[in-house]
Amino acid sequence: MKMFSVAHKTVFVVDHCPYMAESSRQQVECDVLTKSRGQGVIPLAPVSKSLWTCAVECSMEYCRILYDIYPLDKLINYIVSDSEFHLLNSWKRDCQSTHELMSSLAAVGPPNPCEDPECCSILHGLVAAVESLCKITELQHEKRIALMDMAERVANRGRIICLTNAKSDTHVRMLEDCIQETILEQNKLAAGSDRLMAIQQCELVLIHIYPQGDDTLVSDRPKKEVSPLLTSEVHSVRAGRHLATKLNILVQQHFDLASTTITNIPMKEEQHANTSANYDVELLHHKDAHMEFIKSGDLHMAGTSTRENGLKETVTLKWCTPRTISIELHYCTGAYRISPTDVNSRPSSCLTNFLLNGRSVLLEQPRKSGSKIISHMLSSHGGEIFLHVLNSNRSTLEDPPSISEGCGGRVTDYRITDFGEFMKENRLTPVSEASHHPAGKLPAERAKAQLERHTRYWPMIISQTTIFNMQAVVPLASLIVKEALTEDDVLTCQKTVYNLVDMERKNDPLPISTVGSRGKGPKRDEQYRIMWNELETLVKTHAGATDRHQRVLDCIIACRSKPPEEEERKKRGRKREDREDRADKNGGKDVEDKSWKDAERRVVDMAKSVPDKEDQESEVIKDSPDSPEPLIKKPRLATDEVESPEGAKGPISLLSLWTNRITAKSRKRREFIGRARSVNSKFELYQHLKDENGMDVHENGKASR
Amino acid sequence: MPTVVLMDASLSMTRPVSQDSSEEFQRKNLAVHGLNMLFEHMASNYRLEFTALMAFSSLWELVVPFTRDYNALQDALSNLEDYDKTCVESALNGVSNVVQQEWGSACPCQVVLVTDGSLGIGKGSLRHSLQSLRHRGDDKKFPLPFPFPTKMYIMCVANTEELQMTGALDKWEELLCLGGGDGQVFTVEGPLCMQGVQAMFGRLIDRAYCPFHAVLHCGNLSADVQVFPRPEPVVVDEEVEPLARTVNPDLEIVGFIEIADISSPPVISRHLVLPIAVNKDVDDVGTGGADEPEEEVSASQMAGKSPNFCVLLHGSLKVEGMVALVQLGPEWFGMLYSQADSKKKSNLMMSLFEPSTEPLPWLGKISHLGPISEAAENPYGEDDSKSPFPVQPPVKRSYAQNVTVWIKASGLQTDVQKILRNARKLPDKTQTFYKELNRLRKAALAFGFWDLLKGVAELLERECTLLPDSAHPDAAFQLSHAAQQLKLASTGDSQYAAFEHNIVPMHTDFSS
Repeated sequence: MKMFSVAHKTVFVVDHCPYMAESSRQQVECDVLTKSRGQGVIPLAPVSKSLWTCAVECSMEYCRILYDIYPLDKLINYIVSDSEFHLLNSWKRDCQSTHELMSSLAAVGPPNPCEDPECCSILHGLVAAVESLCKITELQHEKRIALMDMAERVANRGRIICLTNAKSDTHVRMLEDCIQETILEQNKLAAGSDRLMAIQQCELVLIHIYPQGDDTLVSDRPKKEVSPLLTSEVHSVRAGRHLATKLNILVQQHFDLASTTITNIPMKEEQHANTSANYDVELLHHKDAHMEFIKSGDLHMAGTSTRENGLKETVTLKWCTPRTISIELHYCTGAYRISPTDVNSRPSSCLTNFLLNGRSVLLEQPRKSGSKIISHMLSSHGGEIFLHVLNSNRSTLEDPPSISEGCGGRVTDYRITDFGEFMKENRLTPVSEASHHPAGKLPAERAKAQLERHTRYWPMIISQTTIFNMQAVVPLASLIVKEALTEDDVLTCQKTVYNLVDMERKNDPLPISTVGSRGKGPKRDEQYRIMWNELETLVKTHAGATDRHQRVLDCIIACRSKPPEEEERKKRGRKREDREDRADKNGGKDVEDKSWKDAERRVVDMAKSVPDKEDQESEVIKDSPDSPEPLIKKPRLATDEVESPEGAKGPISLLSLWTNRITAKSRKRREFIGRARSVNSKFELYQHLKDENGMDVHENGKASR
Repeated sequence: MPTVVLMDASLSMTRPVSQDSSEEFQRKNLAVHGLNMLFEHMASNYRLEFTALMAFSSLWELVVPFTRDYNALQDALSNLEDYDKTCVESALNGVSNVVQQEWGSACPCQVVLVTDGSLGIGKGSLRHSLQSLRHRGDDKKFPLPFPFPTKMYIMCVANTEELQMTGALDKWEELLCLGGGDGQVFTVEGPLCMQGVQAMFGRLIDRAYCPFHAVLHCGNLSADVQVFPRPEPVVVDEEVEPLARTVNPDLEIVGFIEIADISSPPVISRHLVLPIAVNKDVDDVGTGGADEPEEEVSASQMAGKSPNFCVLLHGSLKVEGMVALVQLGPEWFGMLYSQADSKKKSNLMMSLFEPSTEPLPWLGKISHLGPISEAAENPYGEDDSKSPFPVQPPVKRSYAQNVTVWIKASGLQTDVQKILRNARKLPDKTQTFYKELNRLRKAALAFGFWDLLKGVAELLERECTLLPDSAHPDAAFQLSHAAQQLKLASTGDSQYAAFEHNIVPMHTDFSS
């Protein structure tokens, strides 16, 4: 269905002339006497609905189904016609509800049988309907504005459903002619107006209602073209049940609906609570929910049955009692709102209440033979029930290569838990449109901006980072990513820094990754230098945001132990010296966006050199499934109870002492990159290596295996 | 999107290509050569595509069922035999059967029809099929359009001008249109030769089989990925927005949502997101491992060892039971999640939502989803016990608001009986009695059903007379009060018949 098909606008025109007050002659017994109370009581005479009551309740049922299935942008304008026309609502979205219409209908009341029939006519309403169709709806207005110079793509079509008691076929023809003329007139008017649109297509559905037992004076007529602008069809229907069926069929035709009957619903008996019987409930929904059946020609196999009237078909699907409430992501190819055909029957309300309480029900396609196929699911979201279409065919994506076989699949120490926390912090929540400043960034854009801030420095694997393995850094790390800091936040950050200084003074060990390294890993003071460098890198990426962010960086720079520059330089090759200078310039006062990225890359590259240390590890955890938890738990060190990770491994063996000595002796060229990995690796790489070097190291690491 | 290669095995394919060179080629050889080229391309760049090979003449045969084994396809291709005449219609019927049996009728499919462009002769020829199109019964419908969405590529191993001259090209175009028009007729430009056929298949590869590469971003974290199968352009509304939307090669994560909150959303397609190693130019400074023994390490092994954001994301999504909301273009979103194929294997998967500002009503407008840090208090609660989803629609649906429908007599009877049942239990059930009474009153007023109000008033008066002696005196007062109010309402007097007005219980002091 196109956005602006005739279904976008429906005008109901209901006859309110005196003859509509006539009885439909369908009687309803509303006094049902029970046997025990029946004696000596005269039952109330049955009541009967007027033609008006029949017309109103059937049209309201049409609206109910429509609003259930299309709560948005399939609009109804309800008009009542007697000696004049009465508009009961407008195209506005907030005027679209059955409650609104019922309230207006109560104000109109039933037709007055004493009114002069000469003054009354359905024509008043039909003319008003055409005028109403020319009025622009909110959606049409929005789309026209959005499309700018393509505004002509927004079409104006509509349907008029007229419920009346016509006098004859000639009378019907007169009504058609009148509508045709009015359309031409109104289109002329619309050409010169901004708030009006010319009608491009109008569908008239005229329903002639007559009392039970009478002969109809008007004959049925299928849709025919009156003019290129107007088509017309006539339905001659007896009031009461027949009218209800007719409008039910029409709402399905007009809005591409189809019917599904849920069968085998177990329900406790009202009288005997411990027994249960099986019930059927019929639901209406968009017909695309049956697409698979229609296309495969399985419609009849799938348990379709044709009703007595020969017009309406329903697909039967079997209820599968839900066993567990598991949260699962089904492969769902469509979800369509439903509306029960018999909304307040007990089986219907049992089913809908069950669903509204949050349970989902899988539906099985009945088959004559073969395995059972789950083809649909009923589920409610926010008080609305949807029929989900589940894919029951073979998937074209079956047997894909596992993620652990692809890029990065062999790395085993991803910060899975930390990223989980990160995801939780970056969950989304609906922001009401009212609280959103039209000039400001949209909430989704702000969410992206937050992701950007939170990922400026975010090492992906545990062995790439020291600070994120330290409980002591958490307060600062979680605050610094904020868009703006309070004075208190700055204070907390500063406290964190002082705390670290304190730790360093006390010579507390740090959770530096020693995975696979030969020997003890870097010395304590070097560990701290690595940690301070990393912390500085993190804070530098945010320092440009506000003065308060800058103050945190200043605090770190002021507090951290300075590296013995001179000594370091001696150790470096000349090339690196040059690079260091450049890096120093980058680290200067005016931190630009780029510089923090460089800084981050340096840190990351430093870590890229590490993997070869883990080679031994990954040998062991070969073919681990998708990125498992790292083998070695990250040591979360509380500030006050510190335990050395090495210490945990027990005293150093004689063998390792000896090996260390031998390795130390055999490697004298300290600038050699492969060596850098062993002891002072982190420090050296971090300070001086660019990407390319990192890659090299990596490669060599592999090669050495 | 599975592919069916439909190879013409009729005798006309064995016609020699008149060529100056010493070797004598048949059209069939050229076609096989072209297909081999396609299969080789797919084996290295589009490996996950399922492909079936069918051969046809006046009959059709499924030579290789759907497979990812491109060697098997190539082997089968080299062993194809020659048969009689071309009959496209029966072959297309065959395609329809084979595809629906394997994938059902919803799975989009690509058909690569390889032919020399001749239409066949007599009954069963394409010309005959197209002519008789309009005079067919329901039992002998032309197989096109297929029930499943189809992209059809018609590869004519024949020179363009030659096909135009014989009028065959028009017929192939007509066939393409019948199939829904999605696809293309390819012909050999210039003289019919190996290079020409290669170029033609090259165009097919560019059109339909070049992998979709994208960069997945989450703030500053990113990964190069291949999205398989390639996301196809989507048309939202052919009238208002006739231009097809395409997925942006920069996939930006917006934020994260719990699986329970997104709750099995409808999607238009599903795709694997496979991290790929992009060959960045490695600027070798030379400081590296000059001293280390150099060994050849395969690139894939290398890539496996360097951390990749996709793997991290996948692992955390899986552990936390969450999905990542990803933006695919303006007002177009999808979700990333971990999809388990089996206990051992799982993958990062991306599903695309319908392009729209609000593809899932229970999330509200996606552009209006913001970070939780901006909310006054964490909408998920401190212990994750709450959730801001689902978003409630402003108006309740009919089944959620106790509507009154009297179309069936039973509906009306139930409502009247409910009132009477409560009437007999007055004054205990005073609240329920008036609630039901007011519900009936409102509906009767809206439907202009004043007779019903009078009828129910009479019923209540009768109940009043039938009250047993033991009844609470309040019951009689309430019943006659209610009856009187209903009667007043049934006059239509605006003072008593207002829709929003409610009958309130009569104030009596028996209760005190």
